[in-house]
Amino acid sequence: MRRVLLTLAALAALGLVGAAATVGIGLYNVSAQEGHWPGVRWVLHTTFRNSVELRAMPEDAVPDLSDPALAALGARHFASACAPCHAAPGADRTATMRAMLPVPPPIGQAVGEWSAAELHWIVYNGIKMSGMPAWPGREREAEVWPVVAYLQDVQAGDGALPPPPPELPADAPEHAAYCAGCHGSIEGHVPRLDIQNAAYLLEELEEFREGSRQSGIMEHAASAVPEAALADLAAWFAARPATGTAGEGPREGAALAMRGTRDVPACSACHGPGATRARPDIPLLEGQDRHYLAVQLRLWRDGVRHGSELMAAAARELSDAEIDLLAAWYAAQEPRDAEEVAAP
Amino acid sequence: MRLTGAATAAAAAALSLAGCAGRQSALSPGGADAAALGTLFWVMLGGAVLLWLAMNGMFFYVTRVNASAMPRRLANGMVIGGGIVLPTILLGALLGWGLSILPDQRQPDDGLTIRVHGEQWWWRVEYWPEGAAAPVVSANEIRLPVGERVGFRLDSDQVIHSFWIPSLGGKMDMFPGRETYVSLEAEAPGVYRGQCAEFCGESHAWMAFEAVAMPPDAFDAWLDAEAGAAAAPEGGAAERGAALFAREGCGACHAIRGTGHVGQVGPDLTHVGGRRSIGAGRLAATPEAFAAWITHTDSLKPGVRMPSYDHLSDADAAALAAYLAGLT
Repeated sequence: MRRVLLTLAALAALGLVGAAATVGIGLYNVSAQEGHWPGVRWVLHTTFRNSVELRAMPEDAVPDLSDPALAALGARHFASACAPCHAAPGADRTATMRAMLPVPPPIGQAVGEWSAAELHWIVYNGIKMSGMPAWPGREREAEVWPVVAYLQDVQAGDGALPPPPPELPADAPEHAAYCAGCHGSIEGHVPRLDIQNAAYLLEELEEFREGSRQSGIMEHAASAVPEAALADLAAWFAARPATGTAGEGPREGAALAMRGTRDVPACSACHGPGATRARPDIPLLEGQDRHYLAVQLRLWRDGVRHGSELMAAAARELSDAEIDLLAAWYAAQEPRDAEEVAAP
Repeated sequence: MRLTGAATAAAAAALSLAGCAGRQSALSPGGADAAALGTLFWVMLGGAVLLWLAMNGMFFYVTRVNASAMPRRLANGMVIGGGIVLPTILLGALLGWGLSILPDQRQPDDGLTIRVHGEQWWWRVEYWPEGAAAPVVSANEIRLPVGERVGFRLDSDQVIHSFWIPSLGGKMDMFPGRETYVSLEAEAPGVYRGQCAEFCGESHAWMAFEAVAMPPDAFDAWLDAEAGAAAAPEGGAAERGAALFAREGCGACHAIRGTGHVGQVGPDLTHVGGRRSIGAGRLAATPEAFAAWITHTDSLKPGVRMPSYDHLSDADAAALAAYLAGLT
């Protein structure tokens, strides 16, 4: 018995010495040229598959992804953020990407037969030590769904990259076409910029860039262009004339926006419409995208979006039904242009 | 040493008696209801003192004056008579008297009903004169005519509060989703103080209000003025304050009738400058207090929903204060 214990202790000591040498002296070869030892690939991949299957949300929690605007937005984001490693469907990965370890699979292969919930988990969480990054917008899980919608198109075999960004007038600054690929091109889920003023747009872009406003899509976009370009972009998009006409908004939404309730402040006191237009750093909402408004109101209410104590306090008591009413009502109002609305 | 002790006791007694006077005391009544409750209190206090003296007198007698064994019949009689029969009669009589006072505190009003809705931590007030189709909306101050019985319909927003003007009558709890009723009749014109009397959260102690009892003619004139729209105060600072009120979005939560500001979350400010206090009894309504309240709301009333507008410059806060103080 004593000999057994001594042997075990000696083995444990040897193991510790070996581990210390591996880490401390650098015995382990980290070269990606060498590949993995036999069996390691199987262990890593099986761990990855099982970990995702264990943690992904149940399939009945997946929202309706049939709105084509979702896949269009996802495709734009994929083209900018994901394609550098996974390549567009049917396109080749660069030789450099193919030399990664593990090598990022081409997107048609990467989507495999993962379910929507599993794709969502992978895109939001990323895969540790594989080079697959986490979603940059913390607590913005729902923002991943457009990418999932696009990846489902890829799974179905009809996921091509989006059409090239729209042709812009000659006075458009550099990178404007990149922004216009979503803003103004995709109907739904993407906020319009023409109704805002330059100061507001620049402030939001800077918040995205420094990560104080959370959005995996916009944090990526605002850091994909040089910081020096942001001011010109904000000015140019703010200068676009606001177009559009009034639609039919829900009447309860009007009451809520214009008068508020005993729990909800009147949105119009700061955002308009009405004579009591407040500070110019507060965005206009008339004609804004309904989905975008609803998402942002929930983010304010749930404390994910912050930066304005007033807005956080204003949204705190909103119910889901009230949020949907407000979003639908503001979206149906005739757009005004903040560049032309003077503050009192 | 003994003298010092006596002097301290006398000083403490004087101090505590002084606390019984004043505008927030059940013992200096300004109305019939408080007077009835005061009488009840004094009779109970007198009776308690008499009982205390009698009990201690008997203790003294049986231990110091005549410590010999008491005849069994007398002892039994003392226990049954003094321990059971006498308390039953006394407590029964007090209970009957107390219960007989209760309905008086809920007599129907003489025409004016005031609805008070408890918020965190302030009072939403609506005056409903007899036959009115719509109320006169106000907040954080109660005005009532002397010599008339005024009904109070009470409820609350989130938690239980209690409505109490000690100088005018008993307190009544305010419940979310359930209306309670109490009526008060002020007899002496004056300014009394009300206080939430049920712990309701971190700023419970700061949930107070002023209650102003006025001669009926003066009250009617005041109510007419209170029902009217706000008159825009004149003067450079006040006019700049009005613009600031709009620019800062104050109207999202506060209504000022006669302007575009229609918010309902916070107190109605149509005539806030005419009130005696701001912040539900927190500060006397001076321009300086308005400025302090706007910029330091959370430290003056911890947990309050209104954010501190501490980004305002001193000049802007003063302009806003001039506007609000001018809304009489």
